[in-house]
Amino acid sequence: MIRKIISGNEAVATAVKLARVGLTGIYPITPQTSIIEKLAEMKAQGEIQTEIVRVESEHSAMAATYGAALAGIRAFTATASQGLLYMHEMVWWVAGSRVPVVMVVGTRAVGAPWNIWNEHTDFTSERDSGWIMAFASNPQEALDLTIQAFRISEDERVFLPVMVGMDGFILSHTKTNVLIPDQEQIDDYLPPRRQPYVIDPEDPVEIGNMFPPEGYMKLRESIHLALKNSEDIIRQHGREYNKKVSPMIDYSTLNSSYRLEDADYAVVLMGAWAGDAMEAIDVLREKGIKIGMLRVRYLRPWSEKEIKENLEGKKGVLVVDRSTSFGRGGPLYIEVKSTIQDTEVKDIVTGLGGVTVGKNDMIYLFSKFVEGIKEDVTWYYPKEVGKLDIRTPRDIE
Amino acid sequence: MMSLLLDYQYFPITKPGKGAGGKTGSWRVIKPVIDLSKCIGCKACFMFCPESTIVPKGGKVTVDYEYCKGCGVCSNVCPVKAISMVSET
Ligand code: SF4
Ligand code: SF4
Repeated sequence: MIRKIISGNEAVATAVKLARVGLTGIYPITPQTSIIEKLAEMKAQGEIQTEIVRVESEHSAMAATYGAALAGIRAFTATASQGLLYMHEMVWWVAGSRVPVVMVVGTRAVGAPWNIWNEHTDFTSERDSGWIMAFASNPQEALDLTIQAFRISEDERVFLPVMVGMDGFILSHTKTNVLIPDQEQIDDYLPPRRQPYVIDPEDPVEIGNMFPPEGYMKLRESIHLALKNSEDIIRQHGREYNKKVSPMIDYSTLNSSYRLEDADYAVVLMGAWAGDAMEAIDVLREKGIKIGMLRVRYLRPWSEKEIKENLEGKKGVLVVDRSTSFGRGGPLYIEVKSTIQDTEVKDIVTGLGGVTVGKNDMIYLFSKFVEGIKEDVTWYYPKEVGKLDIRTPRDIE
Repeated sequence: MMSLLLDYQYFPITKPGKGAGGKTGSWRVIKPVIDLSKCIGCKACFMFCPESTIVPKGGKVTVDYEYCKGCGVCSNVCPVKAISMVSET
């Protein structure tokens, strides 16, 4: 293993290389572009054998990846924001076909209006598609989770695609120290690809053609059960990763906690700003406030067991969402609230469209929460928002 | 294909075969009729039929009327005009 200072995107490209991916369907979209640029560079230098297929849209990027996966090739793609929305239809086809695929989403706000900065709404909006959904909180995790994603996706008890989210710019473009596993370690961890069926001219099959209602529903239930069952399988492959590759980050659980055990209050969030939250928690702890954090690493499967074990019995739980479900709370909040019904759960939606929420904001939010805020959903703006100078159409005479 | 022992795992694949979904029903108004004495067995109709309802058989072709939509493509491409479109009404 070697250490290198690389960005989240380079970490993902490295994971793709180590996983010996056979085909990558590519279409560039900020902030994911440098993943495929890095892969193209590796390809040009003969470091990888991966077939790189350049297509004309994200819909085609997923379609090409899907086609290769159906043919039995380990396949990968990456996207973000409008790109993910554009491939939405194909995202469902891949899950419905029960074919192993891995995708990385460099998360970003969704238009309108145009905004290229980070938030999680693109990612969370695929929640019901049948994909396993992991979310990294630093470039190291982006690398580790991407490699584990192939292992999980290709497990015969699962056979579902996996997407790994990573905060756009904050992780995708920020360089940190990343421990890069050796190829032998990954070869040991990640066996050759297995999948339920392949397209084969000698033994033709029809994929995803018309199914009558009961058959269709049975297939849906099968996805549901495979997703639920993947919970233990993710832990199992996580432990194996810790043993065979690196013990640095504990992957034996679906979620990660910080100073939670003896905490009276808990905050729940997902992604890169967990680092700011941890620093804020340290500050509050020094002031005598017993607060801890649960970081959601897997949005799907949603581990009710872990959420209950970690959060039930707390005096209060604050969910900080970087994502929206308009007219309701944040998506994480809805999940948490429906899991722990007897505990008080509050929600803050913030950090949308690249709004910076740092350690001091977290300190402010957490202390306010401990003091007791009344509203269920609060939209938090770290800075004052000036009067929005947005034009309204003039009257037509 | 690997054998899967897990009882909850189902996959949306089927073996190719006639399905109930694409049957023509009662709405077709003209149908292709092949004059086998003229047919030279070139299989152009088989290649062009958008419904795959031309069935090659013993060097010549027949039509699967259960699925034929009566579009007339076969009749148009036949180089020896062996297929005539006949009214069904
Ligand atoms: S009429 Fe159309 S559908 Fe019927 S056999 Fe000819 S080409 Fe096929
Ligand atoms: S196109 Fe005409 S000649 Fe050729 S196989 Fe069909 S019916 Fe026969």
